[in-house]
Amino acid sequence: MANVKGKRFIVNYGEPVGMIAAQSIGEPGTQMILRTFHYAGIEATIATSGLPRIVELVDARKKPATPITYIYLNSSTRNSFEKAEAVAKKINEVNMGAITRRSIENFSKGAIKFILDEQTLAANELTPQQVAQKLAKSMEVHTKVDKGGDIIVRLKTKKLSEIRAINVKIMKKTIQGVEGAGKAVIQRSKDGEFYIVAAGSNVEALIDIDGIDKTRLYTNDVFAMNRLFGIEAARNTLIRELKNTLDEQKIDVDERHIALVADAMTYSGDIKGVGRHGLSGQKNSVFAKAAYEETVKHLVNAAAFGEIDPMRGVTENILVGKQIPIGTGSVRLAIKKEDLKKAKPVK
Amino acid sequence: MQAENIDYIRFGIVSPEEVKRISVAKLNVPDTYNEDGYPIDGGLLDQRLGVIDPGLICKTCGARAKTCPGHFGHIELVKPTIHSEFSKIIYMVLQATCLNCHRILLDEEQIAELRTKEVEDIAAENQANVNVESTDEEKETSHQISKQKLKQKKVKRTKKCPYCDEEQPKIKFSQPTYFTVGDRRLKPDEIRDMLAKISDGDLRFLNIDPQRSRPEWLILTSLLVPPVNVRPSITLESGERSEDDLTHKLVDIMRINQRLEQNINAGAPQIIIDDLWELLQYHVTAYFNNETSGIPPARHRSGRALKTLAQRLKGKEGRFRYNLSGKRVNYSARTVISVDPYLDINEVGVPQEIAEKLTVPFYVTAWNIERAKELLTSKTYPLVLNMIMQDGKRIRLIDANREELLKNLATGTILERQIINGDIALFNRQPSLHRISIMAHKMKVLPGKTFRINYCTTAPYNADFDGDEMNLHVPQTLEAQAEARYLMQVQYQIFSPRDGAAIITNSEDGISGMYSLTNDGNKLTMDEACYLLGICNVYELPKADKDGMYSGKDIFSMILPKDMDYVQETSRGRFVIKKGKLVEGVVTKETYGRDNGLSIKIAMDYGYDELRRFIYISSKLSDAYVTLAGVTVGVKEYSIDQKAEEEKTKILNETFKKVEDLIVEYRSGKLEPLIGYTPKESLERMIIAELNLARSKAGEYLAKHSDADNSAVQMARSGSRGSILNLEQMSMFLGQQATLSGGRIKRGYYTGRVLPHIMPNDYGPAARGFIVTNYYSGLSPVDLFMHAVGSRGSEVYKALLTGRSGYLYRRLSNALQDYYVRKDLSVRDINNNIIQTIYGGDAIDPVKVQFAKMAEKE
Repeated sequence: MANVKGKRFIVNYGEPVGMIAAQSIGEPGTQMILRTFHYAGIEATIATSGLPRIVELVDARKKPATPITYIYLNSSTRNSFEKAEAVAKKINEVNMGAITRRSIENFSKGAIKFILDEQTLAANELTPQQVAQKLAKSMEVHTKVDKGGDIIVRLKTKKLSEIRAINVKIMKKTIQGVEGAGKAVIQRSKDGEFYIVAAGSNVEALIDIDGIDKTRLYTNDVFAMNRLFGIEAARNTLIRELKNTLDEQKIDVDERHIALVADAMTYSGDIKGVGRHGLSGQKNSVFAKAAYEETVKHLVNAAAFGEIDPMRGVTENILVGKQIPIGTGSVRLAIKKEDLKKAKPVK
Repeated sequence: MQAENIDYIRFGIVSPEEVKRISVAKLNVPDTYNEDGYPIDGGLLDQRLGVIDPGLICKTCGARAKTCPGHFGHIELVKPTIHSEFSKIIYMVLQATCLNCHRILLDEEQIAELRTKEVEDIAAENQANVNVESTDEEKETSHQISKQKLKQKKVKRTKKCPYCDEEQPKIKFSQPTYFTVGDRRLKPDEIRDMLAKISDGDLRFLNIDPQRSRPEWLILTSLLVPPVNVRPSITLESGERSEDDLTHKLVDIMRINQRLEQNINAGAPQIIIDDLWELLQYHVTAYFNNETSGIPPARHRSGRALKTLAQRLKGKEGRFRYNLSGKRVNYSARTVISVDPYLDINEVGVPQEIAEKLTVPFYVTAWNIERAKELLTSKTYPLVLNMIMQDGKRIRLIDANREELLKNLATGTILERQIINGDIALFNRQPSLHRISIMAHKMKVLPGKTFRINYCTTAPYNADFDGDEMNLHVPQTLEAQAEARYLMQVQYQIFSPRDGAAIITNSEDGISGMYSLTNDGNKLTMDEACYLLGICNVYELPKADKDGMYSGKDIFSMILPKDMDYVQETSRGRFVIKKGKLVEGVVTKETYGRDNGLSIKIAMDYGYDELRRFIYISSKLSDAYVTLAGVTVGVKEYSIDQKAEEEKTKILNETFKKVEDLIVEYRSGKLEPLIGYTPKESLERMIIAELNLARSKAGEYLAKHSDADNSAVQMARSGSRGSILNLEQMSMFLGQQATLSGGRIKRGYYTGRVLPHIMPNDYGPAARGFIVTNYYSGLSPVDLFMHAVGSRGSEVYKALLTGRSGYLYRRLSNALQDYYVRKDLSVRDINNNIIQTIYGGDAIDPVKVQFAKMAEKE
């Protein structure tokens, strides 16, 4: 594509592609709107979109605000709703809080009573006994189901603060499904295939579920993709997520700009954000760091450890009033200074 | 002028000896001026430190105010004080060394292990800093931070020193400068002694270069005093002198220092000495950084916190970002902009007044010396304002010295002459969010006081003419002028680097006219045709039709490149140009095209200059035709007939019925929820979808049933201005108002309703901000309120977003600014790290991406 019918569309030597990429993503920032309506598509959760999502991606936050995992199914399960539903049930995370209507703490006895919500219990095909067993096993506590179908958890302690803490912990406990998988919803694609969308990103656990297509597992959690499939996958996820977010806002940005940002964030082998803790903070120029953020800190460290600023970057050269070594400034004479000294004047 | 070459800059700490070497004066009088208003010798404005008052002579270098660079002095501190900015580093060093024998707390084994590691590190680093010559002392280059490394090296306080077997007590550090061992406070002099005893070799393990930064130098014994240039005093109108914040703080330091000395000499009790010492420490700390945590900021008499050294450097208004990253320039102008469609798109109209002040260098050579003489003798515009001699001296030309300068005129001298038509200038509007916020224009000197530009170039600047101001810069060197002319000129920036789309293109009247002109069946008389073509500088007529009339399409064809062939599928049917003639279709915004269309075709096949001409001429033609044919918008465009009124009622009634049904269904619990949503959420989503549908239905009706000569509809159709939605909101109804979170308005009055007259739990359209009135007939009070809720929300959000997106841009540009394309098409940073092996995978320039796409298709 770079050469079509003798016409060249190749990028120019010295082109400051980094700066152009930054501008291309930064400039439309003000045009972004927070809300986008997805009336047509129905997602398990409403994903973060717009500028907050871009910031989140570019910052390399460890966990997205709304993690979503797309779980595609293998050939045996993808074509039947019942089979897909069975897989979804294995995944769909139900925690104690979701099935509990009320919990009552008894400090004199050191026990907590959980009054379960029968409706949700039934919807998830759970019995109080199963829940009690699960709790006993995972929390290492003594549990009992009373006549009313409520669960009583006996604790070794009678201290208020400890009981409270345990109560909170129990409420978060996963009773059914994959821990950290979140709510799982079945969707149907345009080609009639069933797949599952889950509001979590515990891909390490999800990949071992039977009936799923491991090769197509995808999450919007860049770090999870990195852990599971490696840095290249993380890079591609970054590109895809950035592109989707911009597309949603109907903002056209060439994929090359997005790819450059993603490559800059991942070329070292792990994911680095663009902020002061990532790419900008790890520059080897003292001045570039000082001119960016935390000026005093960088100067103090440079002095204490006798750091050297090689004065090659854009910021450094601007600070001292020199031409920047990029673009038209990247063209230099290919002659050594020492050789110049040897030169004799022409008569 | 370029600075001398800088190989690298190394940082370090100034030792007490260095202080004495640098210093030209020991200062010991804690005051500035004496009663006669004369600087006191040994005071803070000692004339040896340089002079700032005109007329005085520096006692060190003998230069006058503007040429004296200033000289440092110093204060001998009676008791050592800690440099508070470095206390964390002092703490680190103390923790890593034995309190008894001052050796590093690492045993032989760990040291051996480190040695090998260190060698590797140095090798790696030398690789990274190829330019930095690795000197005889290899270790000098190993500087990469440390603190983390230190932790890895396990140089944490071990219980026992491996060398002297001494138990290591815990050292406590509290901000800003307090160190304690057990209950005993470590005084600065003690710490200094301890640090001084650490061997050079041990320091290297802490990544400290003992040659440049011995840790004991962090405890100050003599304090360097910056020259007066750095802290000039200002004379107020009343004749009263006002000192700089730094001078104030230095006076404080010297005062306490003197008092401490007197007390020590008088044999005062230890407690008094300690108190004064502490006070001295406070002042020194505040002098370096008045925002140090743990100390109250020193204040001015007025209560304003003093701006001391750290504050001068820090932040947006600090030295780095305000003065070093951003610089003030000469040869620039700023004024209000206004529009001039008779200027080419690569021109800028410059007021005569500005043109007479700005200059451009005229380099005198053997070949143009005659012209130079003419310029120099001229007494009318364009004048020569200055002459720069071979020795670099700039002489202002006045009538009195004209003869003398003429005599001195020779090759190698430079004349600074006023701007004339055709000179190149950079034109800029802030915020400069992308590179096309600065473009090069050819200047055209015009009467008036504003800069003028063609309205086609407002898009990249995001400018309008409601009072916007813009900046103009005149490049001075020939290199800069060439770069501006051949890389930055408007015609080379027509396509945005963001997506390759044409950002400079016809707009507004530049489209409206084209649309009416090229509309099917549009015919012009010969007079009209001649008038229009004359405006386009075309002096021949196309072939007339049988009735002697000229078709609009043929007039348009006259400004197309002669041999152009082009076919485009648009939403308004096919658009066909054959052999430079428009044979089918009508020109709309789409035809010019952002990412597909005429602009790309012309630029690719005929070049940027031809496209520039085409945009300019066609928008001029369009303007002329709009004026001729008359496209106007009045109230008539927005008033609707009885039938439309009925249609509106019908659409609204249908929608309200559907919403009502949904609510009833929901209330009875029969509503089938959307997958993944609760019934309530589902209801809300379904209602919003239904209400939005009503609005688009109304729009569709208007688009279909409006008069063909309705200018508002024409404008919407041609894409020149406005949309059917605007029209619909003006003549039908406004529709749903949204809140920040995107939902309907549901709060305001208590108990979950917007206004008191609305029943609680009313999910109906009217209760949640659906507006059935329009701008034409006016909004009802309740509708106005709902509309205001939506408007306020978006206003607040816009303010929030600009800040956030500005910061995102700053971070991105900082992280990516060093990346550029190398000859092998790889993307690398300044240190030669490869970011991408081939830019974008295919090395295509994003600016030309649309060209490539079109070329592919053909």
